[in-house]
Amino acid sequence: MPDLMIDAKDLTRTFGDVTALDRVSLQVPRGTVTALLGHNGAGKTTLVNVLSTILPQDGGSARVAGFDVATQGHRVRSRIGLTGQFASVDEQLSGTQNLALIARLLGASKPEARQRTAELLELFDLADAAGRKVSTYSGGMKRRLDLAASLVGHPDVVFLDEPTTGLDPTSRLGMWDIVERLVDDGTTVLLTTQYLEEADRLADAVTVLSNGRVVAAGSAVELKASVGQRTVALTVTDANRVPEALASLRAAGFDPLHEGSRNRKITIPVEAANALAAVVRALDAAGTEVSELALHEPTLDDVYLTLTHQAAA
Amino acid sequence: MSVTAATRSTPQVVTRRDWEGSSFPRQVWVLTGRSMQALKDRRLLVMSVLQPLIMLALFSQVFKGMAFAPGFPRGVDYIDYLMPAILVTTGSQAAMWAGAGLANDLKNGALARLRTLPISMFSLLTARSVFDAVRNTIQLSTLLLGAVVLFGFNPSGGVPGTLAALGLALIVGWGLSWLFMALGVWVRNLEVMQMIGMVAVFPLMFASNAFAPLESLPGWLQAIAKVNPLSYAINGSRGLALGNLDLSPIFWAVVISCVIALIGAVAAGRGIRKP
Repeated sequence: MPDLMIDAKDLTRTFGDVTALDRVSLQVPRGTVTALLGHNGAGKTTLVNVLSTILPQDGGSARVAGFDVATQGHRVRSRIGLTGQFASVDEQLSGTQNLALIARLLGASKPEARQRTAELLELFDLADAAGRKVSTYSGGMKRRLDLAASLVGHPDVVFLDEPTTGLDPTSRLGMWDIVERLVDDGTTVLLTTQYLEEADRLADAVTVLSNGRVVAAGSAVELKASVGQRTVALTVTDANRVPEALASLRAAGFDPLHEGSRNRKITIPVEAANALAAVVRALDAAGTEVSELALHEPTLDDVYLTLTHQAAA
Repeated sequence: MSVTAATRSTPQVVTRRDWEGSSFPRQVWVLTGRSMQALKDRRLLVMSVLQPLIMLALFSQVFKGMAFAPGFPRGVDYIDYLMPAILVTTGSQAAMWAGAGLANDLKNGALARLRTLPISMFSLLTARSVFDAVRNTIQLSTLLLGAVVLFGFNPSGGVPGTLAALGLALIVGWGLSWLFMALGVWVRNLEVMQMIGMVAVFPLMFASNAFAPLESLPGWLQAIAKVNPLSYAINGSRGLALGNLDLSPIFWAVVISCVIALIGAVAAGRGIRKP
């Protein structure tokens, strides 16, 4: 197996007038997780579709799992798994039938298919519902089945297209667990997301796409460090106590932002995440009561604005 | 979910698999099996048998008077005249529904996963065609049985003639299914496919010699009926059932069906690759 499980160079893809991918290059080493970060329409799904051989590229080249996506599509497909944003499972079949079908198409014998199906259903907590038609499953169950379906063939590379968009927090955590386990097993993962937090949590490397172009690539830590500003946002209970709070914060070395005499909200730019503790201490010292206090990480918008501003400059 | 870092006691995992993909025939076999699941839906089964039987009942009774129309073959019961045509038209309608089903499947993502597998998308089309042929056979055979038992269908061609007529109807249906699959693959919209059915297929059933001899149709309708490929198929089927061994319509129906199947297959094969 090659060291670079995904090696894309200058991929280009247009749809009529729209350039969905504009000379996109990407390298993902084996056994790592790379996140593709970008807003809707940035080209994430198009890139995933090109790399998984669903869409042909108009320019550039790519090798996935060591095979060329344009000329060796068949072999690429035998080594990848793809889970899209919308569960692509056959609703007229049961969970078991869905997975067994895929296993058999991959070349498994009937007993092997049965075994693999049972394993996956157990793993994804679908064993009880296995015999029912997928149309009776909840949205979360369909998603789990979809992910299980992409793993039937023990793929070397797994593409996850916005795996947690639309999921509730518990399901999101569960999904993150699965991704981490996949990586433990040596699988290479490329996931697309709109959430910096997700990229931060899961990915070894992040590539930011905007309008079909790569505007930044690096580790999540590098990215966040280079752009955006953490802030602490708080709401003071009594507007009259604001000046005291501001004074105390300034004394502690912060530069709080506040406007308006009746405004109870104060925003404080901070460097480190543990600055929150210092803010609380300062507020305590002034005896200020707060009804809301939160640490805000740089958002994707911050990253975007900065990066695209830099790209344009 | 039970998937947490704590639960490391996973069930016995199959070690690194050695699956090297499946052959084309195997793919078709597995995918046909998938379509066969649909047959297990009792309601669908009943509907697909009931609808043509109802049509048969209606047409045979409503149009009984056609037996006295100009050009109607002498000494032939209307039911014997009508039935072979019903076989062809039912087969044609079924082909249309097959295309619509494919269009729907493509649209709702049921087939999206198959694109990511190392299989040929053409095997999916072939599987559909095979399933379609099986379903058609069941449907038309049941229809024939119903016609014999309920309406006294007893053509002069006897059993061999009837079976041959059934065979021809199945071949025509098979050819048309490829045409409609091609249409479904390019259109990918259930409503549009249904509209095509209403606007094109249904009228073609009537603008033919299915229910009445050509000579009894008004001039303009006759003209359409003469170029309507269904008319040839119906002629062929009817001839076989009634024991007239005029090979010409039979021959042409088979040839045209094969040509349509080929064109449909090529068009569908191209179109299905687009995501």
